[in-house]
Parts: sequence; C-alpha cells; structure tokens
Amino acid sequence: MSERPKPSRAPACASGYAFAHGSGYALPEYPFVEPPEIRCAAVVRHPVVIVGAGITGLTLACALARQGVAAILLDEDNTVGVKGASSRGICYTQKSLEIFDRLGVFERIARKGVQWSVGRTFAGADEVYSFDLRQQENFQLSLQPPFTNIQQFYIEGFLVERINQLNAKATATRQVQLRWCSRVTGFEQHRGFATLTVSTPAGSYPLQAEHVVDASGAHSPFHSWCGATMHTTQGDDRWCIADVRFETPAPAERHTWIEAPFNENRAVWQHLMADDVWRIDYQMEPDADPACIASEAQVRERLRRQFGDRVQWEIVWVGPYVYRSQCLERLRIGSVFFIGDAAKIVSPFGARGGNTGVADADNLAWKLAAVLQGNAPAALLESYNEERLEAAQTNVRVTNRTTRFLRPAHGVERVFRSAVIGLARQYPFARQLVNTGRMAVANPYTRSSVCAVTGGLSVQNVRLRWADGKAGCITDLLQWADGRLLLLAFGDLSAIACQRLIRLGAQAPLRSVQVHAPGARPKARESVLDPLGHVQGACHLFGHAWALLRPDGYLAATGEAVDGALVAAVARAIGMHTKERA
Amino acid sequence: MNISPKLQDADAFYEQLLDAHSGLSRPESELLNARLILLLANQIGDARLLAECIVAARGDASLANAR
Repeated sequence: MSERPKPSRAPACASGYAFAHGSGYALPEYPFVEPPEIRCAAVVRHPVVIVGAGITGLTLACALARQGVAAILLDEDNTVGVKGASSRGICYTQKSLEIFDRLGVFERIARKGVQWSVGRTFAGADEVYSFDLRQQENFQLSLQPPFTNIQQFYIEGFLVERINQLNAKATATRQVQLRWCSRVTGFEQHRGFATLTVSTPAGSYPLQAEHVVDASGAHSPFHSWCGATMHTTQGDDRWCIADVRFETPAPAERHTWIEAPFNENRAVWQHLMADDVWRIDYQMEPDADPACIASEAQVRERLRRQFGDRVQWEIVWVGPYVYRSQCLERLRIGSVFFIGDAAKIVSPFGARGGNTGVADADNLAWKLAAVLQGNAPAALLESYNEERLEAAQTNVRVTNRTTRFLRPAHGVERVFRSAVIGLARQYPFARQLVNTGRMAVANPYTRSSVCAVTGGLSVQNVRLRWADGKAGCITDLLQWADGRLLLLAFGDLSAIACQRLIRLGAQAPLRSVQVHAPGARPKARESVLDPLGHVQGACHLFGHAWALLRPDGYLAATGEAVDGALVAAVARAIGMHTKERA
Repeated sequence: MNISPKLQDADAFYEQLLDAHSGLSRPESELLNARLILLLANQIGDARLLAECIVAARGDASLANAR
C-alpha cells in the first residue's frame, strides 16, 4: 500500500499508523500478473492511470469501472490495508456510505460494520455532554446511517472485489486493470500526457497516461516530481492506538475523554469496529518517544488502568502516531490530479481524512468519465481543483482547531480550555466550545465555476416512489441518469416545459424526471412520487422548482421555470462556461 | 462595537469585578477571567461584534500601557 509509512521512516514523521505489534488480521493477497508492456517495446497510452490502491484510489477505480471508463490502477504491494496490521480509517460518514451505495458495496459494509449515532464526552469522572445524531434532522432522512465504523481494509477489499465483478461484465476496452506489486519509480510530464516508469517483480516498463491520479498518500513522490507547493504544520502531539478485542460486548457509542483520569488526565478515544474490536486511542506526553509508548508492557498497563484487572482482552494491533496538517496549493498540476492524503493531510479527529478522500474520488470520477466519453469539455476537470481545494482547506482549518483544543499550548490556551470544560459541566452554551473533533460532512462548494450560487450542496439519499408505487431512492435516480446530469422538476409541468426537457435531453448529457405529489397527474415522460416531500427537502427547495443534480449527488443549480436559465445551468454544470467566467 | 457608555452602574460593576478576584491566586484569577470572558461572549453572540472586541482589546496602544 502506497500510503503505508516506509520502514526507513520513524513513526515520528508519519501521519499514517505504523505497525508495532499485535495479533493483526489476515488480509487478502492479490496476484501479480505480468503486464503485456514488459515484453512489448511499444509504449501504450492510457486515458487514466491511478497510483495507489488505498481507499481513495480504489473508490475512483470502482467509480470509473461502473462508468465503463478504462483505467489502470497501480499499487506497490499485493494487498489492502497495512500488511499484517490493522487499518487506519475506521469511521465512515453518511456521505461516504451514500457513495459506496452507488458503487454497490454499501450492503457489505453495513453487514460487516457497526452503526453508531450516540457520542459521549467526558472530563474526569463526569460526562460533559452527549449527542444522538439520529435525533438530528439533518441525518435522519437518508437511507444510509449517520456513521458506520469498520476497518478501512474491509472497504478496500470490497472495492477490489466489486471492480473485478464489474470487469467481468465489461469488454476489455472498458475495464479497470488492477496491477499489484507495481511501484511507480519515475515520472515525466509532457504536454497533454505523462510518462510513468513502473517497477515490478518481472522488471520495469514505461506507461503513458493522459490523466494521472495520485492517490499514493502522505509520502507521495509526485509532490516533488510535479513541483507541488504546500502548507505544512507539524505539532508535538503524540498518540498511541490500541485495537483490542474484548470478551464482553461493548456499547456502540463513541466515547471521548478530554481529560481521562486513567491516562494522566490526557485524552482518550474509544470506538467500536467490526469483529468486536475496539479502537482505543491514547493521547501521550508531547514529543513522547513512539517506540517507548507503543511497547507491549506500556500498552498493557494503560489498558489495565482503564478497564481494571477483571476484564479479559486481546491486543489486535498497536500503533503510535503523529499527525501533521498539510494542504497542497493546487490539486491539479498538468496531467496530475491529487486526491486523498496526496492532496491534504488532516489530524484524525472528526474522520475527515478518509471520508474526504472518498469524496475527492467521487468528485473526480464523474468528471473524468464525462470528459473521456465526450459528454463534457476538458475544462470541466479544472473544477475538481476548485471544489476539492475548497473542501481540503476547510477540513484542514476545522481539524487544526480541534488539535488546538486537544493539545493546548501552555499558558493562556490551557487556561481557556479549563474554563470551557468547567463551564460545560454546568451550562449548555459552553458545550459548543468543547471540540473533540467536528465530524466530517459533505463539504459545500461556494466558489466552483460549475455550480450556481443555488448549487454546491450535497443531496441526501432520501426515499421516493417510482411511478408504479415501488420504493426507490435518490441513488436509484442517479444510477438511472447513468453518469449524466439529473434534472428533478417538482410540481406541475406545462406541455411546453415537457417539450423543452425532451429537447434538452437530446442535446445535453441530461435525464429529466418530474417529481410530484400523490394524486397529481404527471405530464413528463418520466416521473416519480415524493409523498413525504423528502426529495424536495433534500434538494433544499420549496414549491414549483427544478433541481439539477450531478452524478456525485451534488446540486449544480436550482431554479424555478424551465427556461433559458436551466439551459445555462446545464451548460455551466458540464464546464462549458468556465472560460468566459475566467 | 458600541464604544459609547452603556453600563448601568459602572462603578458598581468595576467593584464587583475586583471583589470577585479578591483572595484568589494568580492562576485562579486567570481562570475566573477566562470563564467570565466566555460567559460574556455568549451574551453577545454576534460573530462580527466579538471579532471587533477582540481586535480592540488587542490594540497596540493599550498593550504598550501594560508593559
């Protein structure tokens, strides 16, 4: 896995989790297949080459496979996860789960993972506050739960199998080839394409790509190959993970201690995962020695202090880590797109690393597909940088604020934190200042050249009814649109409006559907029912209006009449107006 | 930010503020001040107003007086 810290790097430099010890997991192994290029002198140019089969690279590969876009995915080893160890990410948001639903792996994730919606925060022996996301209106309408916890490598494994399944149904020119044991050791950028040197057990070979997607993680070599510039901040906060299997079942809740009496008044995180494994994350002394804090004796002593002598447990995995925050100034340089940890690195609080990487992949996938299949101009691709750079910068800012709360500088920062914790025990207002991580959200896009001011928001996967009364959801409609834009026209439609929608559908990559209340007579060719008004609510709309959805479930624009404004919104959504704006 | 007088009883407020600190150690006083700032900030609520107050409090002239 490209994202794994190299053995030569001390954990003190890693944002990933370094394996220390533990019984670990048995991970799947994938065969190295000698690629034809090794024995062939001619250099083949591929439309898309993805580097790194972590969760972001695999999400992109799976999304392209679903769209029938040929691609090559290169990974330096032959498995998912960190070999012989545990996963890094554990917590997946509703938006990520909705994306996985579209890719066809959500059911497996839901079966294997653990749902949770209750979080409790403690300081000392007291519960400072708790929340239940199920009670919050903004989470309850989607078919996917607010969060599911599962070891990252399970999702990666499901995506590999899904890609193989999609490949089996596709012709050779529309497949996504997974090439294991293939490390990129050289790179050269040319006008309109790039050349990569790939090293394998059978030798090296050159590969050309129109579009290169760097999903190779925190230590990506592409940063220096491309001359990428970035902002980096490294703190002195140190943590140590213990993934532990208990004999007694654990509550499916997120528990966080800002000041844990059993951890010398430093923070502790406790999360449930699949296989009855808990992830327990201990904050250590600033600048603590990773080798020392991860020693088996120390970890056992820490667990004993937290759970007492009578609870039986088994250590699955231990990993000390340090995080840094880092954000590239541009997420696209020439032919190269940066996604996931290659684009930005955040502290783990709030699950904003993996989830936003999945969103990066989902954002880029439909744009690459639209451009490569001739449905949109190449200018659409620049909006990946606009939208996901805004998201990356937001996520870096949000996680840095959490870091400052969890590891306050000595002096006044610590005084204010004590004031907040003391007040929060007594007064509800102060609880909003307790920052143990702001959970990842579907970041809105406010400065995208392909979204109108009415667009840029994610639409939840809410329920609807097909014209025949059968149950459906937004994901079904997006699948039906099949990589095209999806127009939802709410309420009544005039005959002229219906004619316009048919014409527009013939000229642009767009499918239209009328959304109406039960009892109304639909006029458009395709219609669905929205008996509870959830679809309209999810589109942030009222009354007679239209919503233009993109394949990534984001609104490109909303409007009222089916007129020139809609035509302009469709053109803008596929990048046809970006040049004029610039 | 309101810079015209608004306190109903300025002298009494000032006295209460000083009295609240009497008998406290330096760290205890600092904690009291921090708690008070947070309580008052919540009474204001308005983000722009709070930002203006922070800038005004940080003003170079008043910090120079303190040194």
